[in-house]
Amino acid sequence: MFRVLCVPRPESLTGIVGWGVYIPRQRVKADEIASLWGFEKTLPKALWIEEKAVASVDEDTVTMGWYAAKVAIERGNVDPELIGAVFVGTESKPYAVKPSATIIADALGISKKKLSTDMEFACRAGGEGIRLAIALVASGTIKYGLAIGSDTAQASPGDVLELTASSGAAAYLIGPAEESVAQFEGVVTYVTDTPDFWRREGSKYPTHGEIFTGEPAYFHHIMSAVKMLFDELGLAPSDFDYAVFHQPNGKFPLQVGKKLGFPKEKILPGIVTPWIGNTYNGSALIGLAKVLEQAKPGDRILVATFGSGAGSDAFSIVVRDGIGERVGRGPKVEDLLKRKKYVSYAQYAKSRRLYIRNIG
Amino acid sequence: MKYSIPKFWRRKEGYYQIILTKCRECGKVAFFTYVRCPYCGSSNVELVKSCGRGVVEEFTISYNRVEEGEEYLPKIIAIVRLNEGVRVVGELVDIDLSEVKEGVEVEAVLRRFSSDDPHGLIYYGLKFAPVIKGA
Repeated sequence: MFRVLCVPRPESLTGIVGWGVYIPRQRVKADEIASLWGFEKTLPKALWIEEKAVASVDEDTVTMGWYAAKVAIERGNVDPELIGAVFVGTESKPYAVKPSATIIADALGISKKKLSTDMEFACRAGGEGIRLAIALVASGTIKYGLAIGSDTAQASPGDVLELTASSGAAAYLIGPAEESVAQFEGVVTYVTDTPDFWRREGSKYPTHGEIFTGEPAYFHHIMSAVKMLFDELGLAPSDFDYAVFHQPNGKFPLQVGKKLGFPKEKILPGIVTPWIGNTYNGSALIGLAKVLEQAKPGDRILVATFGSGAGSDAFSIVVRDGIGERVGRGPKVEDLLKRKKYVSYAQYAKSRRLYIRNIG
Repeated sequence: MKYSIPKFWRRKEGYYQIILTKCRECGKVAFFTYVRCPYCGSSNVELVKSCGRGVVEEFTISYNRVEEGEEYLPKIIAIVRLNEGVRVVGELVDIDLSEVKEGVEVEAVLRRFSSDDPHGLIYYGLKFAPVIKGA
């Protein structure tokens, strides 16, 4: 078999036309959670988690995804009637059965002639939504596709996961490369059956395999996907200006980047988890938005998502002309990081319904 | 609180977006939807979507307890003058009472306003939140 080198990769026909992020205003300090549940004082620092974003009682995956998508459409200056697909990656659907994607799409006035579904693959379903949107745009099936990653991440009170599990959303409007400000150069996905983290039907909170979530899950899948991407594109870490990884805490992305050969200077610009927590399906995608908002035309960005169960998507993205003007069309990640109000654990518990009320 | 599901479904466009009536004769804009202009009586009107932005003109705080709605209390209720010039009433969120004042710039945001817990529908609609700096 001979590989035909002159045929462009289909993903290179597509790019990011618009993007948007939402981070709730409330923050709770990781030190307060650690103190309340009797964790060692050094644990938040060891994980590099300072505080996490807490959705209000009237916020959920739908409302946060709606805001992020609204900004993405405004940044792209695209008529919502031209959007042919809406994918919502989440593991915290407000309804177990009833799509979030249709609520968001109707509320944004998006065309009724569209594909629309909620996707679940732990923290990487949003990344898979981007892959699907790329495929649909590249094939000419649709002109624009909207991929959203949104979560109000659950964690059992007192579980170490509670230090990081937070709320947030990111949305990407995928369209033709010539209309985009960041073009996809290559995309690969690596998935296996790995039992590192799960939530059973009817369970309120997820269960995880403690340290098992590290080497065989997070590190193996991200490194495998990124190495596959390097092989397919003939690229190396030195060819990239930025590297963005899924961020279950502040420490893991720096560690996986180091293993792959990236200096921390290329990773730090996309780090958000120490100040907002792990937004699950928003995690790597908010990091990408933060990088897009400081990148220059010609910069090459590596993005690697991760979802337990387990899998990783690796994207190579090249920034195009016009990025600076498009950044200014909506609130930036830095604006959302600065917009915050500290709340107590009690207020956090009320906001995230960690109590049992006698209703219904 | 139990809502009529068909009634909510029929009205959802009005919950999800701010729809205004614009008169092609006198040029005035009114909230909500009319078949005739409430100012000049002309039937030559069109429905337009508001940009969803405006400023706070008046506000009050509500402690009114509605069955199964206690977790949303207290609420700040405001009169917002939209950029299109019309005034609407809505709930203010993401702002402390001490920060609310006349002239605060706000934008419409989709939020839960009620839910028939634990098995019923979740009702979404627009509230107002301060415009995020940079937007």
